[in-house]
Amino acid sequence: MGSSENGGKKMWDELVRMVNDQFDTPQFRRLLSISFSRERAQQYSIQMAYYVKNRRDCWGYVQGAAPLDVKRLIWNHEQDELIGNKSEGKDDHITLAVKEGAVLGLGAEAFDTTPVLDGGMTCFYSWLHIAQRPWLEAIASSAILEMRNSSELIQGGSLSKRIGEIFARDLGIPLKKQINNAEHVVMDVEHAHMLYQVAQKHATTEAARKAILRGAKESLMIDRVYRGHLAEMLETLP
Amino acid sequence: MSIVNELTATLAKMVNDQFESPEFKHLLSVPLTLERGRFYVVQSALYTSNRRDCWGYVQGSAPLEVKRVIWQHESDELVNDPRANMDHYTLTVKQGEVVGLKPEDFEKAELPPMVLACFYAWHHIAIRNHWLTAYASSHMLERRNNGKIVKGGGMSYRIGEKFENELGINLKKMISLDVHVVADMDHSENISEIFHRYVKTPEDRDLVLKGAEECMAIDRAYRGALGYYMERIE
Repeated sequence: MGSSENGGKKMWDELVRMVNDQFDTPQFRRLLSISFSRERAQQYSIQMAYYVKNRRDCWGYVQGAAPLDVKRLIWNHEQDELIGNKSEGKDDHITLAVKEGAVLGLGAEAFDTTPVLDGGMTCFYSWLHIAQRPWLEAIASSAILEMRNSSELIQGGSLSKRIGEIFARDLGIPLKKQINNAEHVVMDVEHAHMLYQVAQKHATTEAARKAILRGAKESLMIDRVYRGHLAEMLETLP
Repeated sequence: MSIVNELTATLAKMVNDQFESPEFKHLLSVPLTLERGRFYVVQSALYTSNRRDCWGYVQGSAPLEVKRVIWQHESDELVNDPRANMDHYTLTVKQGEVVGLKPEDFEKAELPPMVLACFYAWHHIAIRNHWLTAYASSHMLERRNNGKIVKGGGMSYRIGEKFENELGINLKKMISLDVHVVADMDHSENISEIFHRYVKTPEDRDLVLKGAEECMAIDRAYRGALGYYMERIE
């Protein structure tokens, strides 16, 4: 194994370790220990739609700064997220969030009229900030969130899977009816591979690998803050 | 006249006026040699890459439904244009064969300083402004290439004519220029619809005008730079 290949594997292992560690942080533990009432699930669902929109903002900026071959990968990635796949009968992910809301008793207007959480807005701006940094940091900051949501990489299941299980346990809504969670459980396994693919071609120097780790680390930091804010909001609801 | 109709009339005047500017007149008057033609084709590929950067940034800041419109737009540009069965960067590289260029000529191409400055200026508008300003900036370059709006033909058409008249290369063989003569009509019209949905107040209009005016200024600087560099090629 060459030193670059070795460095690439080491970096990947480190990224996988980081996304697994995320679930042992106080913020993630706090969020995942909450019992979900219907009202809590509704508010969580609405705030997650804002999160999904912020992802679309960030991926746009990442696409703008990335080299042409990586732009194409991101464009493909955004098809599932932004457009959906009509030939497979799949909705875009915002539509999915709204449809999932209906299962929780939410009307579509609730997604427009409920304000974004203060802490959520703050975290979204932080993610936007990283998305406009040099492209390797930027792509790592967005891609790491999908790695954190890949059950293939996370022992014990991804965040969407764990939240889906809590909804099933507390609200009696089976995962297959939680169409947004269910879709992300599948799609983010696929999407999580993007960073690996990009790193193999473009992270051929120590500096490039450090840039990826830096973007990933800071994004996971914001992710912890965000999940902490969500937990705090949920705890104030009956 | 509605605020949007007034706005689109102003934008149409601006793209027509571009061709009366000293920079555009100069570029279009520089006699083409094969070497100059090669330079222009390579620079076009780099320009296309810069467009992809900027549209990505605009997609980042735009509302969700506008993101979707841009994503569709980028399908032709970045992934596959059914008019040519390839993306627009590949199309430009392929076009290079007609003037004796190889793919490696594009890979090793460098941005001349004045061109680099223009590209960074376009990046700046795309990243650091309200989305309507950023959007208008990227849109204007396609509007300026739309032969239905620009009297005498858009930029691709006029450059194509130069290749035909001065180098004897038929426009149909200049596949990238040829596709853009049509593609930018469709693109600028699809994209223009967004103004009807989002420009409601004088403030919205001013955001669009800011992007359009600044973009056209950079476009003049860019075309002036190309004319300058081409003139220095024997």
